[in-house]
Amino acid sequence: MTIGLKSKPLKQKQVQVDKVDIMEVIAQASDIVAPVWPLKNFIAVNPLQGLENLPFETAIAESGRIRNSVKNSSPGFDAVNRETIKWCSAFFDDGQATLAMPGRQAGLYRCFADLARFDQRLNRSAADDNFLKRLPGAPSVAIELCLDKLDIPGSQRSEFIRQSLAALPGWAGYLKWKSNWQSPEEYAKLPASLVDFVAVRLVLTCLLSPDATLDKSLEPSAPVNLDGIVAKENEFRDSLLRKLLPFAVRTEDKSLDRPKAQLVFCIDVRSEPFRRTIEAQNDYETLGFAGFFGIPVRIKPFGESHAHDSCPVLLKPGHEVEEHACSTHADRAEQYKKGRGLLSTWKGFYQSLKYNFATPFALVEMLGPWCGLSMMAKTFATHRYGRFRLSTADRFMPEVAVTPGLDHIEISRQADFGEQALRMMGLTARFAPLVVLCGHGSTTENNAFASALDCGACGGNHGGANARILASILNSDGVREILAERGIRIPSDTLFLAAEHDTTTDEMTLFEVEEMSGVEAELVASLRNDLAQARIENSFARSRNFDSKAIDSSEAFEITSLRSQDWAQVRPEWGLARNAAFVVGPRGLTSQMNLEGRCFLHSYDWQADTDGKFLTTILTAPMVVAQWINSQYFFSTIDPVAFGAGSKVTHNVTGKIGVMQGNASDLMHGLPLQSVYSSDETPYHEPMRLLTVVQAPKLRVDEIVRSQAVLQKLFGNGWVQLVCIDPTDGHAYLLSRDFEWQKQVF
Amino acid sequence: MLEFSRSALFRSDSLSWVMAVLIVFVAANVSAFSVRYLAGDRKRSLHLALVCLLAVSVLTMAFADHLLVLLMSWGLSNLLLTRLMMHKTEWTAARNSGLIAAKTFGIGFLFLLAGFWLVSDAAGSPYVHEIVASTETASDEMKLGLLLISLAALTQSAAWPFHRWLISSLNSPTPVSALMHAGLVNGGGFLLVRFSPLLLEQPGILHFLFLAGLVTAVTGTFWKLLQTDIKRMLACSTMGQMGFMIMQCGMGLFAPAVSHLCWHGLFKAYSFLNSGSVIREKRLDRTAGVVTFGRFLAACPAGVIGAWAFAWTSHIPFDLADTGCLMTGIAFMAATQIALRTPEFPGSMPRFVTIPVMGLIAGGSYGASVALIESILEPLGLNQAQPLDFVYSTGFGTLMLVWLAMNFDLAGKMQSTVLWKRLYVAALNASQPHPKTVTANRSNYGI
Repeated sequence: MTIGLKSKPLKQKQVQVDKVDIMEVIAQASDIVAPVWPLKNFIAVNPLQGLENLPFETAIAESGRIRNSVKNSSPGFDAVNRETIKWCSAFFDDGQATLAMPGRQAGLYRCFADLARFDQRLNRSAADDNFLKRLPGAPSVAIELCLDKLDIPGSQRSEFIRQSLAALPGWAGYLKWKSNWQSPEEYAKLPASLVDFVAVRLVLTCLLSPDATLDKSLEPSAPVNLDGIVAKENEFRDSLLRKLLPFAVRTEDKSLDRPKAQLVFCIDVRSEPFRRTIEAQNDYETLGFAGFFGIPVRIKPFGESHAHDSCPVLLKPGHEVEEHACSTHADRAEQYKKGRGLLSTWKGFYQSLKYNFATPFALVEMLGPWCGLSMMAKTFATHRYGRFRLSTADRFMPEVAVTPGLDHIEISRQADFGEQALRMMGLTARFAPLVVLCGHGSTTENNAFASALDCGACGGNHGGANARILASILNSDGVREILAERGIRIPSDTLFLAAEHDTTTDEMTLFEVEEMSGVEAELVASLRNDLAQARIENSFARSRNFDSKAIDSSEAFEITSLRSQDWAQVRPEWGLARNAAFVVGPRGLTSQMNLEGRCFLHSYDWQADTDGKFLTTILTAPMVVAQWINSQYFFSTIDPVAFGAGSKVTHNVTGKIGVMQGNASDLMHGLPLQSVYSSDETPYHEPMRLLTVVQAPKLRVDEIVRSQAVLQKLFGNGWVQLVCIDPTDGHAYLLSRDFEWQKQVF
Repeated sequence: MLEFSRSALFRSDSLSWVMAVLIVFVAANVSAFSVRYLAGDRKRSLHLALVCLLAVSVLTMAFADHLLVLLMSWGLSNLLLTRLMMHKTEWTAARNSGLIAAKTFGIGFLFLLAGFWLVSDAAGSPYVHEIVASTETASDEMKLGLLLISLAALTQSAAWPFHRWLISSLNSPTPVSALMHAGLVNGGGFLLVRFSPLLLEQPGILHFLFLAGLVTAVTGTFWKLLQTDIKRMLACSTMGQMGFMIMQCGMGLFAPAVSHLCWHGLFKAYSFLNSGSVIREKRLDRTAGVVTFGRFLAACPAGVIGAWAFAWTSHIPFDLADTGCLMTGIAFMAATQIALRTPEFPGSMPRFVTIPVMGLIAGGSYGASVALIESILEPLGLNQAQPLDFVYSTGFGTLMLVWLAMNFDLAGKMQSTVLWKRLYVAALNASQPHPKTVTANRSNYGI
């Protein structure tokens, strides 16, 4: 594979220099595309992430300009796009094809260079053949060669590469994810970087569109009407601040009795309505914290052979935690393993007949009658079928209570995790007898975008496992001793419980612990009742936002669970649609109002954070994640084709990594139309940039903003607005883009 | 052809009823699915109306006795399908998919028009039941007419070389694909079965159908195995399955062909509607299933048991002298395949018990499905296994060899050879949708 290099030894030195240059050029040019995560862990990102160094309006105009330049397509340009799609979808397949592209372990460019000469669509003449046979071994060399061949002057090369990347932002973004975000072990299995991608694309350009030049049309796209958006943002900000200000100076009354229970939810906007509902049931307090509970781990669930990262993508997991069946569930675990074995045998039969030759002819006739019956059951008796399936699953593969194996994590390290989490959420005293840590996840059927509804803080997974780890840590006597030395005294009668909130059905599952006292069991039983009631009430409230509105609460319960089981449902829940603000402060600031599920709520007690360390973390980690989510909803709404995935109605899942529209297209990144629009014409999400409201002394916030480059970028360029509610004077201050604090007067 | 006097325009027999039940069942499921799936879609009402019209049109086709009614409902069904495929005409690629399908259907329509003209002229009647009872089977006019009807069937069932429209049809909304793959691609099979009494008199055409089906089955299945997106994989798979169905017609086994198109239709409709679930499907390690010669030999007896069970339940007599035994051969392959996987079966029963039992279940359930449809069609006497000659046996031998090659992972062993690379790239290219139906530029996609 080093054909090109061997024949020209003299050029090698120069090549080295160019190689560095090209890498840099590509890295710079790739600001125009944002990383695209594979669908199984869908991570929300700002599609203009690479342009965040520019002011918001400029970035939109710049992205519009580049998109316009690739819109003016020629037949040659389209042919290059089609071939890029063909090669990328075949190369990046992650488990759809039975016969994979030969030699792809060598990497995208090398594999392409090896196969391309057999491609009659590329190799159409003796000259083509000559060119393809002599392709250099290194992609960076190929890029130089092609740019020379296309006669692109040095000064235009960077921009030319930029347009090449912007031509298919989804596929290029997938390469950007592979280059910058995929774990090295996984990357090594199928190596492909942006350099490979550009090399392949330029080779294709040389063959199919040899007259390609830099499109220098500088016309920006029809400008997005930002005035309307800004007006909405201002209106929303004013109304939110008016609601919050009366509570600005009130601090938590620490002398109050212990509540019956404290429940900690993810900051996710879907937690707020549920928190409001459960608080109304009884003497419960709720808190908001990132749903991975500050535990950056890989989880190996019980019964699974693979582990997955369960933490924000900004963090690297430090430990792998395997879940074991609780000793009280040994019998169930045995039954579960048997059931799972049977299931995998069945799948083995099915797949070995289906992904084979001649045997599929018999397979479809063996299964045809059953497919017909299931189709009818799923379509016409959705609910009954769903219940039947659940009860069958429960019989053959019963749910098993699990406990995380933490023995390999030092006790002091465990105490660090516990302390960090408690202090950051401001829960360091007045522990209730029951503290419930609630992760969350969604339950949907036949939904390629299922993970977009799961916990973003857990990397697009369900968050229950992380909750179990923190609960287990905080229940450990050893950890409690260390925490007591560090000043956090957890009463001996306080029990930490893990739970998972199903955001589609509002069902809350409390995970059992092995030993519970009589008092604790009673508390848990009463909490279960209240959670069941909260489920019904919150479902009722949520159902008003669906096209199938419920008339009473029992019907609402049916509607939400039906949506979660319906294989034809394209809007099983609204996810984080309509998200608008990130509020950092104690629950007392927000507990008296209905925030309509539009706010990320992060608990924070400014008095317990004298050096601002926790606030810095909150603003640079959870807030950044919230901004990613907010931008994704924002852009998927304002342009569902350029930044969103288009309509689900014609989606075609490719390579198990993403979706295309119909026969073949760019990898459609972003959210589908149905996630942000209630119909083809009517947006449900209201596009607004994130508004961050922090209750803390202005001086402290100011200091933090000045010390963090990422915050200056986001606030200074108008990607996020910051308002500080100063508890010392009771006023709200808006941070202007030139970092002036403007007092808000109503 | 234009005389309506002697008989009614419609006539029902068990074939009509089987087709009617299939189409009503699928259309009902698809429309109920679409009501939710297309919620909020601008074109939902149009879509639902077209699905209902299409069902009526296909029902007309199933019960038509007058050739003109059959021809018109055939044309109308395809026209409606084309409009359903385009869905949102603002999207150029989707519009082009519809146009490409319409072109193929147009060619098919012309074949059918000419074919109907010739057979009705030869038989002296425009009524299907009179034509198929005709004794004028030896005339060249009749032969040519039947050949043209067969060609029309090949266009409709996306047989090679008329397969392009199907591979390019995935710009359609998911429920339309379900309806298409369970309904209208079967039109070709229905047509062949309708004229089967005459086709059985034409061994030449039967051989032609067998070969066309074989080529389609082999290419379709091969392409399916290398597709990386779910919908094109399903489309290539349909192509392969239609090829097999046409092969069955070519073998004179028309009742099993109807059975195949029904059960495949349900299977494929389900697979399309469920295609959003593919992300969660975990593919088992294929290399774990790589077969050694010893394991293969050990599995063969189970295959034989499966083949016997198939012959017993399906009532297709096993006779080495005719094509009926080839069906048993398919059952043998399936049962052997299951047996090859059986060693992983966890449980207390020893393998020498579980393996034959699994073979029995595999062959038996396959046979039972065929028998169910066959028993309904029995009065029509559609089956007439053909003498097993060189063409049939080599054709079947080809299928068997490729199956063996798959099991012994020949593709894996040839990975780095130039031959395989050529074959791979050629197949990848051949199975691409028509360029005009690809959304090359994201901004050309229209919601």
